[in-house]
This record gives sequence, structure tokens and C-alpha cells, in this order.
Amino acid sequence: MSHFSPWIDGPIVGLYLLVTMAAGVYVRKYVGKVEHFLVAGREMNLYLGIASLAATEFGIVTCMYTAQNGYKYGFAGSTPGICQALAMFVIGVTGFCIKPLRDSGVITIPELLERHFGPRVRWAAGLVIVLGGLLNMGIFLRVGGEFLVIVAGLDTKTFPLEWMMTILLIMVGVYTIMGGMLSVLVTDFLQFVVMSVGLIAVTLLVFYRVGWNTLAETVATHHGDGGFNPFVHPELGWSYVAFNLLLNSAATLTWQTTIARVLAAKDTKTGRQVYTRTSFFFVCRFLIPGVWGIAALAYFSSGGATAPENSLHALPAFLSTFVPVGLMGLLLAAMLAADMSTDSSYMLTWGSVIYNDLLGPFHRGRWSEKTGLLYNRFIVAAIGVFLLFYGLWYEMSGNVWDYLGVTGTIYLSSMSTLLISCCYLKWTNDWGAIGAIIAGAVFPVSFLVLQQMDATKSFANDTIGPYYSGIAAYVAAATAMVAGSLLKKALRPESPSVPAA
Amino acid sequence: MNPAERFWWILTIAAVVWYSTVTVYVSFRGVFDIKSMLRRLEEQHGGD
Repeated sequence: MSHFSPWIDGPIVGLYLLVTMAAGVYVRKYVGKVEHFLVAGREMNLYLGIASLAATEFGIVTCMYTAQNGYKYGFAGSTPGICQALAMFVIGVTGFCIKPLRDSGVITIPELLERHFGPRVRWAAGLVIVLGGLLNMGIFLRVGGEFLVIVAGLDTKTFPLEWMMTILLIMVGVYTIMGGMLSVLVTDFLQFVVMSVGLIAVTLLVFYRVGWNTLAETVATHHGDGGFNPFVHPELGWSYVAFNLLLNSAATLTWQTTIARVLAAKDTKTGRQVYTRTSFFFVCRFLIPGVWGIAALAYFSSGGATAPENSLHALPAFLSTFVPVGLMGLLLAAMLAADMSTDSSYMLTWGSVIYNDLLGPFHRGRWSEKTGLLYNRFIVAAIGVFLLFYGLWYEMSGNVWDYLGVTGTIYLSSMSTLLISCCYLKWTNDWGAIGAIIAGAVFPVSFLVLQQMDATKSFANDTIGPYYSGIAAYVAAATAMVAGSLLKKALRPESPSVPAA
Repeated sequence: MNPAERFWWILTIAAVVWYSTVTVYVSFRGVFDIKSMLRRLEEQHGGD
């Protein structure tokens, strides 16, 4: 039985929603140009950038998969957070790739790639980014809806999951369509505050009522030394750490929702500072919900209740009875804030790639600002509809983090190779770029297909596993870039590396 | 407490303390960032 009280917790959630929606809709009057809609006129300052990046990259789906990692692997499941924090700090300090990217004044990564590889590569890169991004985001609404329904103890017969998903989508869609990045930044800030207060309050409650010793003993009992060390965990090992180092480095460089904060920053220095000063948040992002997941394991293994079959549902099932009335309202507001900030930013970001790179050849210099804004708003709405139907249709198989890692790798492997080549390896060319895009997508797409077919499901999950297929994608993309570029130089030594439009 | 457990204990405490501090500081400074962003955008509108 959930501790959610409609009369005490309901108004807390309602007040949060009212303030957020009002703020998001209010700033729409400042949107006069496409640049305002997509990158907030490049007027974002440091602390707003930190709040926005943190809020964007922490959604309900984040909380669910990081808690699932804690539940299934102990503290070792938080290793990806350390990998991402290290990558973000190093990239922020050195300016590796993000300095030339921000200096170039582009709105999206494919726009920069065009300058080195030509317009065909820009279009292909845009397509891969949108495909990987939308597949990745496709499960957000469903996972978010499941969490809210379970924690609030709603009866799915009288309040179906589909309703929760639709309500979530409409609330996010309204202010994102009206105000674009400006609304996203302002609501991200409010959502960061609410989300952080809720996360810290529940974490302190876990320490107070469960205690560190119980958490550590639970991990030691269920996972042994592997619960503290990913290298000796039987299900993780070196391939898990290597894949996460590659994945998180590539994501920090080219994940469009993350890089959008660098591109919206008022200058390159601010963009780099946003990275260095937000980097440790990515440890918190994995570790804090990971501790909640371990607390859920302690609760279920001590006979507190019957553990749910799906480990993804362990956290919401635990929280629904662990968090008291009053704090439950704050938790739900925090999780709504986390989810809305992520969904709004992701919808806008993938929309910006569709408008800027896929539709680029059709509108270059010919559409008025008003027409451009209209198309952008339509694209964001269309992405929302896609999310609703994909979330209803796609059945999750296996770990959520693995799914996100594999779908993200469809584009992260090739785009990170292309961006590094574009910024620093001037001898590379469009043949290498197209080769990298194809090679980088083949492995993760094949893995996803094998995983969905009954005949090959166990082969995909047990023999190959997501980590080896992921590592193969990064190696293949880099190899194809080198081989393709050298092949073009050998066969067509007279042709320029940048093809004409 | 073995070294591996101590590592995660220190990291968890650091995460909670860092996150709490940053939340308070960013909440305060972010308000001014929003005000200055909207003011500059309003000036842009005036100049258009």
C-alpha cells in the first residue's frame, strides 16, 4: 500500500506543476528567432548551465536504471558515473573537441562536420543522430509513467499507464513547443531545485532508517567482493568498465543534449566551465539512486515485502512504502521535475537536428524566422507523438542501462570518431566518415535485432553481451574512418577531402 | 571496513555533501543568470 496521500502530497505536486508550467509558458514572449528557440540566443550563463545540464541528464529513467544497477550489482553498478565524471572533467579542462565546436558557432554537431566532410556526411550524421537519439528516448515516457503509477499506488484499472504517459507528454509538450530552449532552461532551473531537494531528502532518510552498515552488508551478502569492485564481479568485468569508458567519453563529446549546453553558452570559456563544474554531478547521478537500489535490496531480502519480478520495479515498489506522507509529495514532485526536464530537453534537441541538418538542404536561407519557428514547433510535437506510440509498443528486454548504452552507441561510436577527426585529423575525408557511420551502427543494430528474436535472444544476451558488441562498434568506427580515408587517397588522389555541395 | 568499502563510503558521503552544497549555491546564483539572460534577450528584441 503506497503512502501517497491525495490530500497532503497531491497539493505539493500540484503546486510544483503550476509554477513550472507558468514559468515555461511565460518566457515564450522572448522567442523571436529560430536561434532563440534552439540555443536560447546563446545567452546562457554558467550557473543556469550547470542546473540545466544536471536536470536534463537526470530523468526518472536515469533514477530507475541507476537504482536497478545498484540493486543488481551493488556499488560496482555505479562505475559508469565515475567514468562519465572523469571524461567530463578532462574534456572541460582541456577543451578537447568542445573548444573548436563552440568556437565554430554551430547549432548542431553535423553542421560542423559539413565543413570538413561535406553536405552528404552532414545529412547522414543528422540521420544517425536522430535515429539513435529517438530510439534511446523511446522508453523514457513508459518508464517514467510506470514509476509514477507504482510510487503513487495508482490502480492501473481505473488510471491506466497510457493516461499517465499522455498527461506527462502534454505537460512537457506545451511549454517546449511554445518557448523552445528558453522555456527549457528556465523550467530546468526550477526542476533542478525541486529535484535536488527531493533526492537529498530521500537519501538522508535512507541513511537514517537503513544505515550504512546494513547497505554494505547487503551488498557483501548478495554480491561478495564483486559488489564493491566491477573488475571481479562475474557479470561485469573489464569489458563492462572498458565499454563504459568509451560510451561515457563519446557521450560527453557528442551526446547532443549534453553538448547543447556548450553550444547555448555565452562563450567557449563558459561552456568549458559548465562541463568541469558539473562533472562530479555524474558521480552523484549514479551513486545516489544506486544507494536507493541497494536499500531496496536490503528491504526485500529482509522480508519487508515480496520483491517484484522485474528488478526495474524494485525501486518504486520500495519507495512507495518507505517514504512517509508529506515527503512522498516532495519525492513525486522531484521525480516529475526530473522527468519533465529530461523529456523537454531531449524533444527539443533531436528536433533541432531534424530542422538544422535533415531539413537543412530544403530551407537553407529561404525560410523566414516565423516559418522556421513554425516548423520547429511542429517537429517537437511530432517527436512527442512518436514517443507516446514507441513507449506503448516497445517491450523492454534486459537492463535499461544496457539498452540505452547500445542504442546510444548507434551514433556515439561514429559521431565521436567523426568529431575528433573533424577537429584534429585533417587528413581524413568523406569516404572514411561514411564508413565510420555504417560500421558504428552495424554492431549495435545487429545486437538489438538479435535480442528481439526468440531464436537468437539467449545468444545475444549470454554469448555476445552488450559490452563486447559496444566495444566492437567503437573499434569498427575508428578503423573504418582510417581505412576509408586512406582508400580514397589511394584511388582518387586528386579529389578534395571536402566535396562540394 | 575493507579498502573497497571505504572507497564507496567516502564517495557516497562526498556525493551527498557536494550535491547539497551545489544545490544551495546554484539555486541562488541561477536566479541572477535567468534575469540577465532575459534582460539581454529583451535588449535584442528592442534592437531588432
